[in-house]
Amino acid sequence: MKVSYNWLKDFVDIDIPVSELCEKLSTSGFEVEEYSFQNEHLHDVYVGKITKIEKHKEADRLQVCQVDVGEKSVQIITSATNVFEGAVVPVALEGADLVNGVKIKPTNFRGVKSDGMFCSGEELGIDENYIEGGGVNGILILPNDTKVGAKIDDALLLNDVVLDINVTPNRPDCNSVIGIAREICAIYNKPFKDVDYSYKTIGDDVKNYISVDVKTKKCPRYMASYVKDLKLTRSPLWLRSRLFAVGIKPINTIVDITNYVLVEQGQPMHAFDYKHLAGSKIVVRDAKENEKIAVLNGNTYTLNADDMVIADSVKPVVIAGIIGGVNSCVEKDTTETIFECAVFDLKSVRLTSRKIGVMTDSSLRYSKGIYLSSPVKALKRALNLVSTLGCGKIVDGIIDICNQKEVVERKITASMSKIDKILGVEIDRKRVLQILNGLGIKSTLNDDILTCLLPYYREDIENENDLAEELIRIYGYEVYNNVEGGAFEHSSVTIGAYEPRLVLENKMKNSLVDYGFYETLNYSLYSPTAISKLMIDDERKNIIRLANPISDDLSTVRTVMAHALLLDIHYNLSVGNKNLKFFETGRVYLPKSLPLKELPLENNRLSIAVCENGYDFFMLKNVIENLLVSLPIEYKLERSKEPYLHSGVSADIIASDGTKIGWFGKIHKKVLKNYDIQDDVYYAELDTDYLSKLPEKKYATKELSKFPTVERDIAVVVDEKVTNGELISAIKSACGKHFSEVELFDVYRSEALGADKKSFAYKIRLVSEDKTLTADEINGIIKKVLKSLEFRFGAKLRV
Amino acid sequence: MKEKLDLILKNGLDEIEKANDLKSLDDARVKFLGKQGELTSILRNMKEIPPEERKSVGMQANVVREKLENAISSKQEKLEEENLISEMEKERVDITLPSKGTKKGSLHPLTRFNNKFMEICVEMGFTVIQGPEIDTDYYNFEALNVPKNHPARDMQDSLYITDNIVLRTQTSNMQVHAMETLKPPFKIVCPGRVYRNDDDSSHSPIFNQFEALVVDENVGLKDLMKMIDTILKRLFGEDVKMRVRPSYFPFTEPSIEIDATCQMCGGKGCSLCKGSGFSEVFGAGVVNPKVLEMSGIDSKKYSGFAFGPGIDRSVMVLNKIPNIKYLFRNDMRFLKQMR
Repeated sequence: MKVSYNWLKDFVDIDIPVSELCEKLSTSGFEVEEYSFQNEHLHDVYVGKITKIEKHKEADRLQVCQVDVGEKSVQIITSATNVFEGAVVPVALEGADLVNGVKIKPTNFRGVKSDGMFCSGEELGIDENYIEGGGVNGILILPNDTKVGAKIDDALLLNDVVLDINVTPNRPDCNSVIGIAREICAIYNKPFKDVDYSYKTIGDDVKNYISVDVKTKKCPRYMASYVKDLKLTRSPLWLRSRLFAVGIKPINTIVDITNYVLVEQGQPMHAFDYKHLAGSKIVVRDAKENEKIAVLNGNTYTLNADDMVIADSVKPVVIAGIIGGVNSCVEKDTTETIFECAVFDLKSVRLTSRKIGVMTDSSLRYSKGIYLSSPVKALKRALNLVSTLGCGKIVDGIIDICNQKEVVERKITASMSKIDKILGVEIDRKRVLQILNGLGIKSTLNDDILTCLLPYYREDIENENDLAEELIRIYGYEVYNNVEGGAFEHSSVTIGAYEPRLVLENKMKNSLVDYGFYETLNYSLYSPTAISKLMIDDERKNIIRLANPISDDLSTVRTVMAHALLLDIHYNLSVGNKNLKFFETGRVYLPKSLPLKELPLENNRLSIAVCENGYDFFMLKNVIENLLVSLPIEYKLERSKEPYLHSGVSADIIASDGTKIGWFGKIHKKVLKNYDIQDDVYYAELDTDYLSKLPEKKYATKELSKFPTVERDIAVVVDEKVTNGELISAIKSACGKHFSEVELFDVYRSEALGADKKSFAYKIRLVSEDKTLTADEINGIIKKVLKSLEFRFGAKLRV
Repeated sequence: MKEKLDLILKNGLDEIEKANDLKSLDDARVKFLGKQGELTSILRNMKEIPPEERKSVGMQANVVREKLENAISSKQEKLEEENLISEMEKERVDITLPSKGTKKGSLHPLTRFNNKFMEICVEMGFTVIQGPEIDTDYYNFEALNVPKNHPARDMQDSLYITDNIVLRTQTSNMQVHAMETLKPPFKIVCPGRVYRNDDDSSHSPIFNQFEALVVDENVGLKDLMKMIDTILKRLFGEDVKMRVRPSYFPFTEPSIEIDATCQMCGGKGCSLCKGSGFSEVFGAGVVNPKVLEMSGIDSKKYSGFAFGPGIDRSVMVLNKIPNIKYLFRNDMRFLKQMR
């Protein structure tokens, strides 16, 4: 929210450097995001009076002007055509640095010197709304009575400082100049001075002109008054200056007054053109189904019963709290007005404002909350301004329909020792009372009992925690820098621990890093097309769609991990990166039913993708085996059913309880095409939730044989369809109790072996627990192995 | 005879001395000490020596043999060493050639930061837990004192799945899950992803937070401040300065935001910290008693505090990452710098 420094001075005597004030506000809960000096680009610009104009002898379009700028006279050459002798104009002299980036230095136009430049309104950062002539395409001609020689920022009241303050949602009272001023009073321990709320009336009675009927529960209070004989002119410069500083367009006296009150008091107001209120009646009611209203932003909105309108006896005239209709607004020919000053339900205004997408200064304040008592002062302030500006005659009486019990002051009691406990430090009691009273909270302390009378605008304060915050934010958090002792001096000892899955994931991550993999992080939202690109046709295609996605690319939550890593590979290849080895841990979100009625299952996964020259299935298999080796899990591999994997070069990992705990293999060639990847990609995924639920691996060591292990090599020729796995398990069982290890060390194919034949060479290691195996025994075992292989697989010894 | 032995010794030592490889040394050994060697033949023919000389000749012969053997063995050692040296000389490599084997990859910088943060918290007695990223409105908002249509909802633009199911906007949902399931006293910390309807040059719709919660008797703002001081020093070094600003979160009261010395400029002021020399690290506060009560914890007996850093920015700053989008782009050129 923008706040004017000069405006604050109406309420508190401050003469503090702005930077210091902003720092103090920030450290007491009102973060000043930035502050700007209105006159930053107005230095070295003065009010001048043109005393003489001559044509430039060398250039038809230029005029040479003699200008009185107070203490001296300067010569300005201009091409502007709207200047004349006697005109009072802004003159930028050497050193000026205008808002449009123009820097002024003396120049020479064909032999004639110019000391500077006349300025247009635009060059001063103002427009027609701010001052007459401010928007013309030419030089700004100032009123004749403007003081010649004055600095332009003083002459045009452009010497304010504007603070942009971030007001937290618990302090709607501070969406106002008065609210911020109260805070400053508390911070600097200064008295709060209020402005004048008095006004003169002309007698008569408002009830003779208007009646108000509140027909909805969503309007707890509605106040109205009647002003006639309006003089709708520009507001005086001081008023326009304040509105302009906070970014509100000055329009005319009556509209400006409503805006002034909004900014100063934080209370939105509306002014109706009385003659357009049919039946001299104001009805506050829920909108009818499909009720239409054309409003001041140029649009027409269709409302329904959730919305609230202000209507006259026949038509809606305002969308309550949000924006006025074109059919009843104050215009040039308005002579009588009704001021509205009301409280509307925050939820209702929020909902309607969001629904129709209209945010106004009024709707923003109503959405944050307006207090039941706040219209009282605000309406008086508006009438006071009418009196002060002399822009209308105020009829006696104010209509006030209040449907809730007004509590102007609320009493709470709190335990001071509990506050001390919350803070962990004791603030001097005198200071406690000083701070609270300074905040407008009349407080007394009796032993441990703190009694507080809370003004209506401090609904946020209910208990000790709230009071503790008020105290410490004004007292200052620096106090903790000097407090002795550490954390948890008076509380329990707890033992730290990690969730088991994090422990497992971290081990796996570190292993993968050692294997040369890089960890990636991808969004867990993706495009709904991911599923079809991966050719997925199982339950994972039941994706969860967001109701309000940021974009189509981020419109569904992921049900498969592979998509993002394939995109990463595509991206990296496209920028010339090679030898890509990635892994990622993350979640897939699997709906139990769609549309979603209960929360989806969130399943944690580890996924791996490799795109590297020379990489193959068995290298990836090695990675998977090593990741699983220290877990207490028996698993087998089956041909994978994952649709995005190459059916011949992929495997599902099946735990002994039948659970599929992962899969790995080469990416399907069609899928690679879908991702526009030319090279082979290998991919793996593991269910880390399943794996982290396994108990810790138990180790049981076999006794080591005292006798040497012996080694024999055999090579057998088998049909292509025979697998290594089958041969190995046959070898194991044939070796019987003397089996130690078996290792495939060569695979060989040749024409001599014949088509559909291959040779597998194995190293078989044998050992006995109670003796050294003799050559005969060893040969006997090998013979048995060969016989078994021949019998079961038709394997022939290769010689 | 004595002269003969002297000559053998002299000749033997000469030849041993001259031998410049193991072969010629062995030849010398064979010549003098071998079965047919000169010395051996003298010893073999001892019986031909007059008995009165036998003893002294025998002794002298043994001395000669010993001297020759010693000379041979030390020469052999010398030659073998020379051989090893010349062998090794041949093995000399260009040490600037590339290493072989797998080159180590890297953890994502966010993971590294997470791990460090978790480690600090676990040492302080916190248990690391995780929970749902897709949660009900109740856990993400209502139980944290943010009823529907509350103005505080404006602080976080949410991504919804249904009216009641939301992608969590804050890891604070874990406060509620923890309070419902754990018995005080407890300290928990929850790392995780959060989601906002916000995507521009400085915001990611998905980012990472931690949520830490302590519930116990006798804990308050002082404990929070002292603990955060320790955490900041562990994260950013002993010199880090801390600045506290009051703030507002519906679920804590008092609420604060904690700034630490900007790690990009070291506190001198830069574009990232807008010249202030500080950057925001934590939101924190004393748990609002209403929130304790809503989750069934007796607020008369127990109090608590919570804090939560958004970590993406800290990771950026600590690693001097110029663009927040790098964190999710997974460009190898970036990841390789994180080894």
